[in-house]
Amino acid sequence: MIKRATIFWMLLATAAGIGLFVLKYEVKSMEGQLAAIHSETLENLEAVHVLKAEWSYLNQPARLEYLGRRLLRLGPVKASQTVDINDIPFRPVGAGDNETSISDSANSYPPAADQVPPCSP
Amino acid sequence: MIGRQPHFPKKRRREPPVPPCVETGRSRLLITGALFSAAFLVVTGRLIGVTMFVEKSQPQYSRSISKAALNTGRANILDRNDNLLATSLKTASLYANPRVMLDVREAVNQLATVLPDLDRRQVHEKLSQDRSFIWIKRHLTPRQKYEVNKLGIPGLDFRDEERRVYPSAALASHILGHTDIDNRGLAGIERHFDQKLRDGQTPLKLSIDIRVQHAMRKELASAVREFRGIGAAGIVMDVRNGEVVGIVSLPDFDPNLPSKIEPDTRFNRATLGVYEMGSTFKIFTTAMALDAGRVSMRDGYDATHPIRVSRFVIRDFHAKRRWLSVPEIFMYSSNIGSVKMALDVGVPEQRAFLQKIGILHPSPVEISEIGAPLIPGRWREINAMTISFGHGLSISPMQLVVGVGAMVNGGIYYVPTFIKKPSGSTSKGRRVISARTSERVRRLLRLVVANGTGKKAAAEGYLVGGKTGTAEKVAGRRYKKKALMSSFIGAFPMNAPRYVVFAMIDEPSGTKKTFGYATGGWVAAPVVGKVIARIAPLLGVRAVDEKAPKIMREMAIDIATKKEGKRRLASF
Repeated sequence: MIKRATIFWMLLATAAGIGLFVLKYEVKSMEGQLAAIHSETLENLEAVHVLKAEWSYLNQPARLEYLGRRLLRLGPVKASQTVDINDIPFRPVGAGDNETSISDSANSYPPAADQVPPCSP
Repeated sequence: MIGRQPHFPKKRRREPPVPPCVETGRSRLLITGALFSAAFLVVTGRLIGVTMFVEKSQPQYSRSISKAALNTGRANILDRNDNLLATSLKTASLYANPRVMLDVREAVNQLATVLPDLDRRQVHEKLSQDRSFIWIKRHLTPRQKYEVNKLGIPGLDFRDEERRVYPSAALASHILGHTDIDNRGLAGIERHFDQKLRDGQTPLKLSIDIRVQHAMRKELASAVREFRGIGAAGIVMDVRNGEVVGIVSLPDFDPNLPSKIEPDTRFNRATLGVYEMGSTFKIFTTAMALDAGRVSMRDGYDATHPIRVSRFVIRDFHAKRRWLSVPEIFMYSSNIGSVKMALDVGVPEQRAFLQKIGILHPSPVEISEIGAPLIPGRWREINAMTISFGHGLSISPMQLVVGVGAMVNGGIYYVPTFIKKPSGSTSKGRRVISARTSERVRRLLRLVVANGTGKKAAAEGYLVGGKTGTAEKVAGRRYKKKALMSSFIGAFPMNAPRYVVFAMIDEPSGTKKTFGYATGGWVAAPVVGKVIARIAPLLGVRAVDEKAPKIMREMAIDIATKKEGKRRLASF
């Protein structure tokens, strides 16, 4: 009886020992992974930091104004281009209610399905 | 197990008498067993403690790494819309240890092929000293670092350093300031908040808007070019809380290259320079007289004859030689009328009034370049007379802007700031004039733009009001006739002012287009008009129909042209 108990305890101790070592190495390798991931995160953060600086360099108002004028033909908004929403009159009652003439539907948005122009290639 | 009592079968045998030595052995065994079991209990307890509970002494490897966040060194500076104005980037700096260097001459020659701007003789001299650390070049570009590494010279090494980078270059140079090679703030915000920027990772958010900054800088620069001026200054301030959204001084510099800054470009005309402001001071004189109740809008003064005081003669630039009403004095910028108005209020009262609106103290803004106003030592009658039309007292443009802000915003003085106030916070101001006086001042300012000397500042739809100012520059003890300081201070929209806009050109010369004039109305007013037209939509100011009856009524003003008799009702 005593012998059997001893064998049991010895096995248990061995198993616990092996388990502990396996666990230890696993934790260690995971910690290594964590450190690697972390340093990668830091690297990326640093890259983001540099990119932010570059982004604001590219977003200099003078440059945007130049590009807007040259490529988009956009300029500063004039007062005459804005209108108060309260100044826009309501659509007169009865206008375009019943029959939809061709010109009406051509000007309305979104266009009816059959009037969507085919996409150019 | 060890603590267990030894087993003695009792039933099979009869107990023999126990000798005393055995008794002693048993009790010793018992004590030993008890000790061992106690020790094991402690071990078990510890084991449970270590595995199940976290203790402070335990090294926390995983936590210690995740806490090491990105350290960018000096904190960022942002504009009010979170655009990056200043940041710190990592760079490599090259240093040498001459003690391990094999051949100094060869090393220098090789380095010079990669770093062409290196002073060979100087570096050679430095490397010949018996030292173990010598900077060769700070802040290399990544390409240069790669090439130096490729040379493979022993004794060279890099040290990671930070470098302050200003992505918008010269756009906000005077307000931001710059740092030296060791990242110490040397001017502007960088200097004022040096400690805070060093300590913290939390970015500093300025009240500046780079779009406004750009609009102002561009318009000022083109005015300087057109009128061949030597410099310019411009400010845009929110009148409802004192936040400065744009501040420009020309010429400016690139803070990215602190070693290449020309000394005269460092000078901040907007806050450090103090100037006689000329006629823009009449805003204060008129507001003071109206607020004190000494005059009403229907009163006026006789401006037929110039005023002679000791050796001075005060005359009008646009002389009308007749009785002028208060609105007319303002519209035609009459010096004679302003002098009489100021004297009616009183000399000490004038001083107290200017004190109240921050004219007599250096502006309390958060940069180090602030000019103290030049105030007369003894405030006599003659001083009061000249100060009433903006001479004999020099202030910085920043002070003027803050003062005028208080005149138009309903009469509240707000302390100016370059730091954005948290949204939703209410700014505490100090009442300096009544709301009624402020409302009259607004009508007068609108009159100047609609019908007076400031017509060129008009920006259709934004109801601009303002006042021109032209002063001869003081050189030594006398005025330079040809050197002018032409300015315009405006605000918009005049029915409910949001922003004060100031522009000043230093020593402009008239052109054919301006018929040779280089006065505030010809030179600075158009800048303000153009700036307002550009920034108003960006700042969310709604354009109105200036001819709408409601607006016309709000801005209407009663110009009494004659002492009695006919009155002209002006409505703009």
